[in-house]
Amino acid sequence: MQSMLGKAANTDWFGPLVVVIAAVVVIGAIEPTFLSAFNIQVLLSAIAVNLVIALAQMIIIAIGQMNLSVGAIGGLVAIAFAGMMEVWGIPAPLALVLALAIGLAGGLANGFIVAKTGISAFIITLASLSFFKGLNLGITEAQPFYGVPDAVKAFGNTNMIGPIPWLVLPAAIAGLGIWYLLAKLRIGRQILAVGGNPHAAELSGISIFQTTVWAHGLSGLLAALGGVMVVARLQIGQPSIGDDWLILSFAAPVIGGAVLAGGHVSVAGTALGVVVVAIITQSLVLFHIDPFVVQVVLGALILWAVGINRWREVRVERRLRGAS
Amino acid sequence: MTKTAHAFRLLAAGLLLSAATTAAHAAEDTLVALVPAGPHPYFSAWEQAGKDAAKDFGLEGGDYRVPPKWELSQQNQLLESLVTQGYNGFLVFPGDPVGGNGVVSELVEQGAPVIAGGGCLKEPSDAAFCLGTDTGNSAYIGTQELIKRMGGKGKIAHFAGFLVDPNTQLRIDAVNKAAAETNGAVEVVQVIADIDAPEPAEEKINAYLAAHGNEVDGIVTTAWIPAVVSANALRKMGDKRIKMVGIDHDEVVLQAIKDGFVDGTMLQNPYGQGYIGTFALDRLRSGCTVKEDAPFASTALTDRFIDSGTTFVDASGVDNYVGAMQAITKEIMADFETNYLTCE
Repeated sequence: MQSMLGKAANTDWFGPLVVVIAAVVVIGAIEPTFLSAFNIQVLLSAIAVNLVIALAQMIIIAIGQMNLSVGAIGGLVAIAFAGMMEVWGIPAPLALVLALAIGLAGGLANGFIVAKTGISAFIITLASLSFFKGLNLGITEAQPFYGVPDAVKAFGNTNMIGPIPWLVLPAAIAGLGIWYLLAKLRIGRQILAVGGNPHAAELSGISIFQTTVWAHGLSGLLAALGGVMVVARLQIGQPSIGDDWLILSFAAPVIGGAVLAGGHVSVAGTALGVVVVAIITQSLVLFHIDPFVVQVVLGALILWAVGINRWREVRVERRLRGAS
Repeated sequence: MTKTAHAFRLLAAGLLLSAATTAAHAAEDTLVALVPAGPHPYFSAWEQAGKDAAKDFGLEGGDYRVPPKWELSQQNQLLESLVTQGYNGFLVFPGDPVGGNGVVSELVEQGAPVIAGGGCLKEPSDAAFCLGTDTGNSAYIGTQELIKRMGGKGKIAHFAGFLVDPNTQLRIDAVNKAAAETNGAVEVVQVIADIDAPEPAEEKINAYLAAHGNEVDGIVTTAWIPAVVSANALRKMGDKRIKMVGIDHDEVVLQAIKDGFVDGTMLQNPYGQGYIGTFALDRLRSGCTVKEDAPFASTALTDRFIDSGTTFVDASGVDNYVGAMQAITKEIMADFETNYLTCE
């Protein structure tokens, strides 16, 4: 039993899991409505969307880069998805496929430019952020699309079983898919290898060009899925969808133990990182925190959560050094 | 989008007649830019308003130009770029009430008059005047209407907009003032601000209603997106016990009023701001000056304030909300020049 606990303590997800359990117990004790079915449903809806957004960034962190355009791609796809259904009357399933294709294309374009030019992904995605956001505003002129079909609205606002919303389904598929890709598939291992040491990866025959393009393509696809999910949840295609994704997209993977230099990420850790951020956000509302200090408290709590995880890592490293 | 555009067309048609008499005096080279602080559906009415005013008064143009983000630096860059492109009159929603004064002074020095629209600049300012909603009064009236529908007692949650918006604090104060006047019968138990964006609004409003929905009797929203999200949340919960007064004229809110999930909304008049603002900029370029003894109102930011109008609409008036906006705009336009300008 002690050995199992010891093994678990060495994982990336252990720290965030402890934080989540502690937070649920404490908040649930102080505010019993926190554990009500309705609140669980609200929390799961937020977690589902945010997990997909965090995975979109995590896959780029895995290759040691950053994607600042995750929110802009998600926003463009969101208005494209809603706009195609409202303006052209395209059925929702076809609009979904086309919307995901737009996200994939945006991501592939990011990856192609980064890999081809060798310019930092930070710079390229900063530019493409502006490009995608500009397209969004050019199309919508800051006006929402309202013509979202009832089936899409129902998907974003009804439950699958008990308090579990339908939105959890695509998020779970995305999470399991990315875990499988990183753990079992060649392209996943190549992504981690390029992130860990690009020079060594290249010497071992891995194409950095292809790996970079595919990682960005995957990131664009996940951002697109996030955009579609937000449209379903909000029931409108708001042009400002995606504007707030950036901080969360980095915070959750980092809380979950991702190494920003690349080569090491954890899907389970990222998922728990998303849960930590969602609980923090919600608890600020539950405990009537003054709106003018919300950002300060949120920042401090995220730092605290990251700190706990880092403290655990340092302890593990010391123990390993001591053992050797 | 179609319904909104249709509404603005109706509004424009109603104003055309009064415009016809003034068009002869217009400066034909007046090119007005209507610039909000960032992308937001509230300002989309400015686009049609600018076009209509340019057409009705014979200007070279009245173009709606949106900064890519709700940031003062981006708005400043856009304004500086527009003046080099030949725009010579500006209706600006200030990205910051103090910080926005710098670029406004630059524009005025270039000979382009500026009117603060939708929100005001803090004095001293080179803007000719501020044409916007008396946001404090709007929030105050909205809260009073809500309190009436709550039977004069209970607990209110207030969902507000961006904290950097100069209007947000005025609205928070006004809601608190209306509640305080009930001598403790009504209490504002929660203010959730900085949620005039879809995801934070969705997450925080739903979280609040999930945990405290059974403890509140009324919701007042003083920003566009919180109004939409709250209306949707009450519809999803099937809750008609909680009374709600929203803001603005989003289709979601209007439909929720018709369906009984929302009790009413405080209409603002963005179309009127854009239309009257464009007209006034042209008159200023044509040699008119702002009257020294004009009947300006005072706010916390400026003593040169013109209320562009606000009115409460409930289920009985929701089908004619365009008429309500039209009436307000007509009323202001009728004696605008006489009241506020001195023209040769």
